[in-house]
Parts: sequence; C-alpha cells; structure tokens
Amino acid sequence: MMARARAQASARGGTQFLDPAVLARISNLELLSRTVVDGFLTGLHRSPYLGFSTDFAEHRQYMPGDDVRLIDWKLFARSDRHYIKLFEAETNTNFMVLLDVSASMSYGSHEVTKLDYARYLAACLTFFSHRQRDRVGLVTFDQEIVKYVPPSMKRMDTILHVLDQAEAGRAGSLKEPAMQMAELLGRKGIVVVISDFYEDPDTVLAAIAPLRGRGHDVIAFHVMDPAELGFPFDQPSGFEDLETGEQIPVIPNRLKDDYIRLVKNHLAELERRFTDNRIDYTLLDTSKPLDLALFQYLLAREHSSRKR
Amino acid sequence: MSLALLVPLFLLGLAGVVVPIVLHLTRRQRRNVVHFPSLMFLERIPYQEQRRRRIHYWLLLSLRAAALALVAVAFARPFFERDTSGVGAASGPQEVVVLIDQSYSMEIADQFDRALDEARRIFNELGPLDRASLVMFGQGARVVTRSTADRSQLTRALDTVQISSSATRFGPALKVSQTILEESELPSGEVFLLTDFQRNAWTGDEGIQLPAGSKVTAVQLGDETSDNIQVADVALAREAVSGRERVTATARLTRRGGEQAKEVMVSLEIDGQELQSRPVTIPPNGSATVAFQPFTLSQPHTRGAVRVPSDDLSADNAHYFVVSPGTALSMLVVEGGAAARDASLYLQRALAISERRPFDVNFRRSSVVRAQDLVGTDGVIINDANIDGASAERLRRFVDAGGGLLLVLGQASGWPNSAADMLPGTIGQVQDRLQSRGGRLGFLEYGHPVFEPFAGPRSGDFTGARFFRARDFTPADSATVLARFDDGSVALAELRYGRGTVLVWTSTLDNFWNDLALQPVYLPFVHRISEYVGGRTEALPWFTVGQVVNLADPEALQTAGLVSAEAAGLVDGLDQVALTPSGKSVRLPAGDGPRYLLLEERGFYMVRPPGSDPDRPFVIAVNVELEESNLARIDVEELVAQVGTATVGPEDGPDFAQATEMRMVDQERRQSLWRWVLLAAFSLFVSETLLSNWVSRKAGVPGVATS
Repeated sequence: MMARARAQASARGGTQFLDPAVLARISNLELLSRTVVDGFLTGLHRSPYLGFSTDFAEHRQYMPGDDVRLIDWKLFARSDRHYIKLFEAETNTNFMVLLDVSASMSYGSHEVTKLDYARYLAACLTFFSHRQRDRVGLVTFDQEIVKYVPPSMKRMDTILHVLDQAEAGRAGSLKEPAMQMAELLGRKGIVVVISDFYEDPDTVLAAIAPLRGRGHDVIAFHVMDPAELGFPFDQPSGFEDLETGEQIPVIPNRLKDDYIRLVKNHLAELERRFTDNRIDYTLLDTSKPLDLALFQYLLAREHSSRKR
Repeated sequence: MSLALLVPLFLLGLAGVVVPIVLHLTRRQRRNVVHFPSLMFLERIPYQEQRRRRIHYWLLLSLRAAALALVAVAFARPFFERDTSGVGAASGPQEVVVLIDQSYSMEIADQFDRALDEARRIFNELGPLDRASLVMFGQGARVVTRSTADRSQLTRALDTVQISSSATRFGPALKVSQTILEESELPSGEVFLLTDFQRNAWTGDEGIQLPAGSKVTAVQLGDETSDNIQVADVALAREAVSGRERVTATARLTRRGGEQAKEVMVSLEIDGQELQSRPVTIPPNGSATVAFQPFTLSQPHTRGAVRVPSDDLSADNAHYFVVSPGTALSMLVVEGGAAARDASLYLQRALAISERRPFDVNFRRSSVVRAQDLVGTDGVIINDANIDGASAERLRRFVDAGGGLLLVLGQASGWPNSAADMLPGTIGQVQDRLQSRGGRLGFLEYGHPVFEPFAGPRSGDFTGARFFRARDFTPADSATVLARFDDGSVALAELRYGRGTVLVWTSTLDNFWNDLALQPVYLPFVHRISEYVGGRTEALPWFTVGQVVNLADPEALQTAGLVSAEAAGLVDGLDQVALTPSGKSVRLPAGDGPRYLLLEERGFYMVRPPGSDPDRPFVIAVNVELEESNLARIDVEELVAQVGTATVGPEDGPDFAQATEMRMVDQERRQSLWRWVLLAAFSLFVSETLLSNWVSRKAGVPGVATS
C-alpha cells in the first residue's frame, strides 16, 4: 500500500489529471484516448515495448548494411542469391474489452453518464494496449452481444468508431454475453469487463468465471455514478428503473441509509468474490478523473504482476 | 313518483369508478419521476410496498369517482316515473280527448250540465305532461280545443258550449278523436265519451280504430226513465174549395215512457198565432192522432207549428212547417190536325180532375207548334201528332231552356230526323200484339219520380193494363228506360236534354191501343208524368236539423217552398241574410258559387235581403231528428269493446311493450334530467381540477435527479 501511495503521489506531481467533464467535451475518441494515455505515459516513464515478433512476413533482397544474420541461407542454397527474412513485430497478447451498454449505463447525475465514462475508459485502455502492440478487440453487450470487433492490430479505428456509436438501450445481463465471449476468445489474453454489475454477485461471478477459467486475465471495472453510491435524493419521488420501466414511490430520507448499506454490501461482496476468483476489480466513480482511475489500475496491475 | 332509468345498461359505466381508485392506489407522481439505473436495492427495502397501496387524497378520489358515476348515470337517462292518481294515472303523459254529447236529448235531467262538470273534473285532474282536447258532437263533431296542456283554456272553452238541436252520432266524434290521437306524440291516449249512450247513435260499422295504447272511457249520464211526448209528424192535406186552398193539418203524437195514460192539449199555430187546440189522451208508450179543422191558405210562406206542452224533452214538443198556396201547372197538349175529336178525351179529363193544384191545359189541334204557344208553358204533351221540322226546332229550344216534353206515340206520330237527337231513341213501326192478347208492363223504374209514388204496396197497379199496340222504340245510349213491356220492348224512355227533359211513351194514352185509361192507376200516372214534364217539384214543408240548403240553386229553393223570389224580396246577384231561430244572423254573400245554409237549429229560418223587411219573407221550417227522442241505451261495455279494447294489445304483447317504451321515452325526453346530472358531473370535474392543482402546488416539485 505504501508503494501504491507513493506512485500515486508521484504521478499527481508530474501530471494533471483530467476532469471527465472536460473529456466529455472532446468528441473525438482517438484524441481523447491519446490525450489521456500520452499524459499518463509521460508521467509514468515506462516503456510499453516488451519484445519483437518472430512471425515471418516476407523476403527482401539483401542490401549492404543489412544484418547478415537475417540472410535466409536455405533460400541462397536454392537460388544462389541473398535474401533476408522480414518479420512482423509481434504483440504481447490479446486485449479484449467487454463494454456494458445496457440501459442502466445511461444514467448520470452530472455531465458524464456511466456509459460515457466507460466509453472513455475503453478507448483509453484499447489505445494504451494498441500502443503496446497488443491485439485489441471490443464487445458491446446488454443482454446479448451487440457489437463484436475481433482482436486485431489493425482495427483500432473500428473500435473507436464502435465506441463512439455505442448507445444504451435494452436491459442488461452479463451471463449470456460472457458465455459467448468465452467461446469466441480462443487465445488467452486480457479481458476487461466494464459494467455497473447490477446483478447478484453470484450471477456476476457465474458469468465471468468461465472467462477466467479459460486462462484469460480478467479485469473488472465497476462503473458507478456518485448518486448511486451516495443516494443524494431528499424529495419523495417516483423512482423508475431505466431498464424495466418499473416505478415505485420512494421517500429518500427514509430509505437512504438502507440503500447505502445495501450498495456497500453489494460492492464489498463483488470485490470479495472477484478477488477470490483472481479477478482484478476496480470501482470507478464517474465523478473522478479518468486517468487517475487508469493510473490506479495500472499500479495495481504492476503490483500484482510483480507478485506473480 | 319514482326514479327510473331509460337505458339502465349504461349503469355498467359505474364500474369506471374503480379506475380512479386503482390509480390512487398505484399512482405515479409523473411530475416527480426520478430515472434510476436500477431499483434492485430499493426494492429490497420493504417499506414502499405498504406505501404504494395507500390512498392519500380521499377528497380527490371522491370527486373523481362521483364525477364518473354521474356521467354513467347521465348516460343511463334517468327520469321520474309518474305514479299519480289523476287522469291516466298508470300510463304517464296522455293525450286526453273529451267528447261531449251536445245533442238535444242531453237536456233531459240536466245531463248536459253534468257532462260539463265531468269534463271540468277531467281537465282538473290532468297531469302536468298531459294534453287534452275538447270535442263537441252531435251528428257531426267539432273540435273546440285541440291538444293543449292549458287547463284554463280548456275550462274556458267549456263555458262557451251549449246544447244543439242535432241528433247523436258517435262515429264522427270517435273519428275525430282517432285523428287527434294519431297526430299526438304522446305515448298513450284516452277518450272520455260523455253522453247518454243512445242506441241510435252507434251502428257498429263506423270503423273506428284508435291507436295502440289508447282506450275509451265511457261516462254515462242519466238513464232511460223519462216520460216524453213528441210531435212525430204532421200531415198537411190540401183541397181547393171555391177557388181557395184549404189545408187540414193532422198531427201524430207519440209517447215514450210513462205509466198511465196522459191527456195533453195539442195546439196548432199559424204565423205565430194559436189557431186551434185539441185535447188528446196518449197511453204510455203509445201514440195518438189529432186532426185540426182546415184552415184557409192564402199567403205564401205561411208558418205553422203543432205544439204539445213541454216535458222532459222539449225539443220535440213542437213540429214546424211552412206551406204556400199551390199554383196551376200550364200544360200544352198538341194533337194532330187529323186526329179524332176524342183522341185526347181521357187525357183531357184526367188533367181536369185535381183536388190540389189544377193543371191549366191548352189544347192545340195542329201539327205546328208556334212560338207563342210555348210562352208561359211548363210542359208540352205531343199526343199522337206528326211534328214538322220547324216545330221540332222550337220544341228543342223550349226543352233546352228547361221545359218538359212528353211524346205520346200512336198511329200518326212522327218526328223529323233533323231533331232526332233530342229524343231518347229512334221511333219504329207499330207492333201489334193482338195475337197474344196484348202485352203488359213488366218493368217499372220505381226509383224515378214518375213511378216513385207507386213504389209502395197498394200504391197503384200497372200490371192490370193490357197493351195491344205500341211503337217500336230503340233507345239511345244516353237514354234511360223507365218502363218496359213484358217482352222487353220500351214503354217509357227519358232523355235529359239541355236543362229540360224529353219522355217518350210508346203507346197511346187513350183506350184504343191499350186499356190503361180504364185502370185506376191511369189518373195518378197522368198527373204524375204531367207534373214531372211540367217541372213541378214537391215543396218540402220542413227540413231536418243538419240538412243543407243551397240558396243559389233554383231547384233547391223550389224544393224548400220558395213561391216567388220577387215576392220574397230575393233578387239574384244580391247578398242575402238568414236569420236563425235563435235570432243569429248568417250572411250569405252573392257570388257565382253556391250559398249553403246549414240548418243547425229547430224552428224557422228566415231568408231576406239585408236591411229589408218583406211582408212574406222566404221561410224554411226545421225540425229535430225524431230518432233522437228514442232514449234506448246501447250497452256501454259493448261500445267500449268495439272501439277501445280492439286496438290495445295485451300487456305481454308487442303493442303494449311499444307503448310503454314510448311513454318512458317521452317522460325522459320531457324531464331531461340527464342534462342536470351531466352538469353536476362537469362541476365535479372542474372542482377536481382545481383541487388537484392546489394539492400539487402545496406538495411542491421535489428536486429530482434525472438522466
């Protein structure tokens, strides 16, 4: 914990965390993610490049100055000419983002809705991973898969476009989309789930656990609006569920304490169950800066990778 | 009075009251809706389950529920069903028709006054929605007040009616009531028949068919027990004595009712002065005859009356008549120049014999009829003469102007072809029937005025006469055959030509071709056919109430006994005035059309020019119809059954149901309670809106966090 605090303090001293409300004014997601990630990288001073790929791409005639180690001697034996082998740079892993676009994600008590925040986060993460030569992909889902962009080095623009067009619509359910993704993702990689997890913890874990079981490194981002956490309402009102349309009269003063208690219990239970399943869980408050959340996450990831 | 519903099915709309209750229980404050990502945690808190099912605004709920209930009730069309005990108590608004008998028999035992009292009672018991008509009837019916709800108007109308001199007929009155009920929009009707229910007033064939839902209520007035003596008839026998005409009046009296023989004094009045009086004893339900001494008739339009003392029914205690001295009928008898001296002997003698008005006969023994011979002549008899063409043309003009011509065919008879169109047929050859011992008259048209007096039994026998010869006669299509021989050949034919008439007798009027002249019927037959040819019309000494005289028709005036228009001061083209027996004046303006005088009162009608006072004005005597004096009653239930119950269906029948439905619809339409109920509902809705806004403002708009 001390190291995490130091890193956080160092980062704050070297960079200016960006207010989500300011980010919301940037309509271009690529620019947004570049802004966040570049600033973040500048402050972090860590190289994201970890190695080279060994995948053959093509042959090229040897030119003076080329590394002779790259000459394909077998080809020389057949053709009596010198050719060198070119290799594609290899990525580290597959980076897959599962973004919840259910109706509940459209909620926002201030300028930025949960979906906006999650969209920024997804853009930043994919941009960040793409900069690290990871194959990035995206899945948007509510009660089923809405959009699916397979992992690739070349589809960053597609991902950003899908994120830009993502809209909250139907009621959400994690189980079915997660199961489908478990089937689709054959190669092990990093799977990031961004959702508000308005389901029973057992159900959530039952949906995500198969991904973990297949060897993916699963990271859960729990996006919550501050109003969901603090329940700042004071007037008797009819509360309408964004997903089901159900409406009930509520006197907040009488329910607030019970509500906060239930939410806390829910969050604690989620964290406990995720941890138990070796899934990284991060609660994100949409009123907090996005790069700070990203910073906290990476610190935690680095910390955990060292431990591993 | 009870509340009823015209369309109770709409009460199902009361179920709509549940809607605001459900809304109050499950209401959502749409103005304070907070969209929240998920109610997952809120629903786990048990408190709001109780809160959702509580009603917070009872007053609002009551207003909304009451407004909806009132709307449903308004659509059900409520109305107050009348159950008063007045007229037509159980049947709602009614069209009431009160028929009051104003015939003269209603004067017995103040029946008419009681009828008026009964009518007032009926009018006073009318419901507020009822309408009533007042119809006075005798032989005809007169609507005094038609279908009104104004009781005062009806009551005032009763003060204006009075007894008439007419007889009673239920048919016209019920027909009028049928028309009123058919025109009425009210669902039911009731006809009150206020009369003494005389049997003579109803034949049962009137064909009255009152509308469904109507009924007849008979109000019987008086009874049959009365003692009434009436002057049933007066016979006026005339005879000429010393050139003056004397009239013997014989009165026939009848008595209905009574228990013992009764002696009454019968008087004869001439020109308003009692001339004679005779005592007579009349047994109960019997009759008696009184013959007065002859009186000399010297003045035209002499008014006479035979009276008996007044009794229960005074209208028939006098019998009025008008007589005038008779005038001689001018006849021209034309014989052929070669005819035998006694060719017209029987005809001449027959025309000379007359006890009443003699014939003034001129004989001309020539085949030529001069123009001056026809001046002042009423009728011409051509007795077996051969008429030349010029004479025939003169006769044509004479007939065309209204004269009469009798052509008696014999051996020498002839008629020019140029004037054949004015004869009722074509004259043929002589038919001899000596071989068959003569023929007889086989057919007589007793409906014709010539033979009408012989229609009754022992009134003259034509079958005794034998006809040995006659001329063949082929009748024209427009001719009327009045008599035929037993072989079917024509004996007497008539043709109306212009304003006059032409008759052809195909045999002679002597005793050569037939022996009719030797039969007793010869004299009256010759008189009758001569009077007919001469245009003499028997003047009626009196008319009956209800008859009409056209004062513009000369024949009608002659029938009415007008002797001389000039003597009576009546001049064509000038207005006339008729003074009724009660003294009322009826103007009869001059014109091209008819001038009808309706004889409604008994007594003497005096007709004269306005402002004049002639010595002997034209007078018409009018008597009441005597059958009205017969107070025999009809079975009231039978009458009501024939009129009312035949048209009203049974209570479980379609007509009754339809009538009931119409009554309910009418009640509802008149009351229109639904409008007030709907207005109340609207007021409640307005109140609800105001209260709801006030409650909303008071509660305020809570701060919400929405997406």
